[in-house]
Parts: sequence; C-alpha cells; structure tokens
Amino acid sequence: MRLELVDPVDWGSVSEQIDIEFGSGVTKSLLGNRVPVTRERGSAKIFYLIPTNWMSDITEVSEILDIQFIGKELGSLDKGKFRLSLHILAELAELTESFIVVSRQGAEAFTYGRSILRESVLELKESLGRGQRVLVLNEDQECLGIAALSIDAKKLTRLAADRLVAKNLVDIGWFIRRLG
Amino acid sequence: MAKKELRRRAKELAKEYGYLQYMIERYLSLWGEEETLRFIEACEQPIRTALRVNTLKASAGVVIHRLQEKGVSLEEVPWLSDGFYADFDGYSPGAFLEHMLGYYYIQGIPSMTTVNVLDPQPGDSVLDLAAAPGGKTTHIAQMMQNSGLVVAVEQDRLRMTSLQSNIIRCGATNTMVLRGDARKLDHLPFRPDRILLDAPCSGEGLIPLDPTRKTSKTMADIRFCATREDEMLEAAVNILADGGTMVYSTCSIAPEENEYVVDDILKRHPEIEIVPIETEFGSPGYPNPYGVNLNSSLKLARRFLPHLHGTEGFFICKMKKREVDSE
Repeated sequence: MRLELVDPVDWGSVSEQIDIEFGSGVTKSLLGNRVPVTRERGSAKIFYLIPTNWMSDITEVSEILDIQFIGKELGSLDKGKFRLSLHILAELAELTESFIVVSRQGAEAFTYGRSILRESVLELKESLGRGQRVLVLNEDQECLGIAALSIDAKKLTRLAADRLVAKNLVDIGWFIRRLG
Repeated sequence: MAKKELRRRAKELAKEYGYLQYMIERYLSLWGEEETLRFIEACEQPIRTALRVNTLKASAGVVIHRLQEKGVSLEEVPWLSDGFYADFDGYSPGAFLEHMLGYYYIQGIPSMTTVNVLDPQPGDSVLDLAAAPGGKTTHIAQMMQNSGLVVAVEQDRLRMTSLQSNIIRCGATNTMVLRGDARKLDHLPFRPDRILLDAPCSGEGLIPLDPTRKTSKTMADIRFCATREDEMLEAAVNILADGGTMVYSTCSIAPEENEYVVDDILKRHPEIEIVPIETEFGSPGYPNPYGVNLNSSLKLARRFLPHLHGTEGFFICKMKKREVDSE
C-alpha cells in the first residue's frame, strides 16, 4: 500500500475526534512541525506524523518499496472511528486533562487487559462524562493505555468499590500479549 | 592433527556431545582439540541475560533504581554505556511494567555491541538491513536521539509485527520500516551514511541458547547462508554513501559466513576497507581460518565466543567506503 498525504476530510475528522476528547488544540500540538501521511491497512487508514524534510524521499521510496511504518504512528481511522496508537500516548499525556489515575493494583490489572473498578481510582476530573475516552495513568503519571468511562465522573463517589468505572480499550500489556 | 585422526576424534566428540560430525571437524581444524573442548563445554552453560536501558524513554538512573527495588540484580557491561547484565531472579524479564513502558530492551551483549560499533550519530541517515525484531533498530534510534532517519528493512511478514511493536514500545520516532528484499535496494533514493547488516545466518553461535542447533543445520545450509550473506553485503556496499561506514555482523561462528564473505567483498570492491573497532571487547577475527590465507585486515574484525567471553558466538566487522575524490 502506498503512503499518501492525508485527505483533508479525513484529517478534519481525526482532529475533531482527538480535540473533542483530549482538549482543543491537542492535535495541533501533537502534529508540531510534522506532516500527517496515511496508508491503508485493510479497511482502516493508518495515520503517521513525519518530519517535513522526509517528504521528497518518501514520495520516491513509496513508488518502489512497501513502506509499512514511518515516524510517529498517530492512530487509525476505521468506519469513521479514530483509535489512537500507543506510540503517541506518552506525548498526549503531557497535553491533556482527560485522564484517570489508578492505584498500583489497578494499574497492574489494567496492563493485563482488565477494566478499571471504583476501588482503583485515585483521580478523575469531575467534568468528564460517560463514553469519554481517557488516558490511564499510574501513580507515577506513566501512561498505561486508554479507557472509556462507563459513568459520568461526578457520580464516582456514589459507586460501590467493585463497580466498573472505565472500560479498557488498549493497554501497554498488548506488547507482550501480541508477541506472546 | 592428521586428517584421519581429526575425523576419528570428531566422530567421538560429536557422539559424546550430540553434534553433527562435520561441525566438530571444523572446530578441530580451526582451534585444535583443547580449545574445541572448551568451546563445547561453554556451550553447555547458560548465557547471562542482558538488557539495554532505553534512554529515549527513561534515564539509566531511574531504570536501575526501579529494577533494583523489584529485586533485579544489574551489573554494568564495561564497554557499553547503557548495557547491563541482568538477573531477574526467575521472573520473566518481559513481564515487568518497565519493559511494557519501553524503559529497557532485553538484548544480547553482542547485539548491543554491534550498534555501538556502528556508532550512529544524531542527524545521520542509517540503513538497518534484516531489521526484525528491532533491537538494533531501536538502539540506533536511541543513539541518534530520535533525529535523522533510520530505514529498517525486513522481508518476513510475521517478523515485521515484532519490529513495529518494538519501535512503538521503545518510542522511536525517526524510523521508516520497509518490507522488501535487502538484496534489491538499488533504487533507494538516498545513500545512507551508515549501514548495519546483521545478516540472517545459520545461527552457529547460538548453540548455548538453542541446543537443537547442534544437529539442525548441514554444511549445505551454511553454504546457502553464506551465498545469501554475500548477496546482501554486495547490495549494502553498492548503496552506501562514499565515505560511509558499514558494519557486517552475524550470530554465526562459521568463518564461511564471516571472514570468507568479507574477504570476497574486499576482493570485488577495492573502495571498501576494514577499519579498526575502537571499543575493546571480544577477540580478533581470523585472517587464516583452516589455514586459508584471507585478507590480513580481517584481524581487525572482532569475534565473541562462548568459551572466551561468556556470550553467544558472534562476528562483527566494521568497514568504510573510501571517498571517490580521495583516490
């Protein structure tokens, strides 16, 4: 599959989805002085951010060789839904307030693919609502993945300890599970 | 040792230690009986686990502190700034949170040393051939501080998965991964400053890690690998920038896949020369393996051997392509 400059319509959709969930202007900050490019993988489009001075080489290389990966992987767009890549999460964690901080036990369970229960939650902004995607941070503020809130954050204190707060969407344990 | 006597002794040792006879015959020719026995004994011992701290994600101080708090014993490798011998006390090194976060990479000492010898600099363009699973690619990105461009080439579709996964985990952002045959890169639109060819090989240096290697490869397999290595090295030489640096390595101890391959390249390419490796490790390459006279500068290459260095067997040769206008 060839690497191409992004379709402005696709990029608009990607930017909008990131900014709505992680804060206005976040996509622009992630982009920095890089250029977004894309390649198809199955039904999805994968988005990468590359330095501008790579563009001339890339154009020639992609004519003759199969570029599988390049620069920073931002995420993938499939059926209108954008999913962030693990590659970008540490950087995103510096830019957003859409996060949940979990305890050591909660962090460990999360990296095994488990979702987040009330008893593990140490910090969650009240303004975040149900369905919102959030970064999952441990007590050292290290990003472990992404989860989707199952509740409005302001209802957190009313929940029992064993109730679900956020559903695991992707976590760094994937590196081990994927490679076996 | 006379040929008949060598064969008889090789047959005995092969039977006793479970090797194919042709392998022991070659070791006896190469090293004599005493060193062959030390090699065979060393191959029965486990290789120490080692890791590279990934300074793209965390400082060495932080990683060392966190791992030591979890009971991991670490010992510096004298010639590697971010390399450590690591004892995980029976736990899986890949299951630690710090591993998932990309703070370290489990990697053999010779593999780390290979990139250290290549010495990539920030801003360089570097080509990493046969790159999966990405230990050396991510190490190169680390030494370049995520600047410049690292082009990683891999042909195997399945191994491509591990390559991309490790690039993401380690936070390398200056890489381009190409799927293709490393022997067919004539049309690459740029000439890299540095090339690393850690060639797919017969793995004869990996016997301490994989005892099945004692019987899994024939001499024909070694010849097949040597031919492919020669073709890959030829392709690498042709696309290297004038004045550029290239490192050729294998995890094989076979001179047929190492010194012989480099010697052929030196004969065909007078613009290529072997250059000294500044770092002190291992032992010299063999300019006269099996009594065959090869280019004398092959002594500048370095070898890791299980019985001498406590690592898997490995070959590393650093070469330079002369500037056209300097001739």
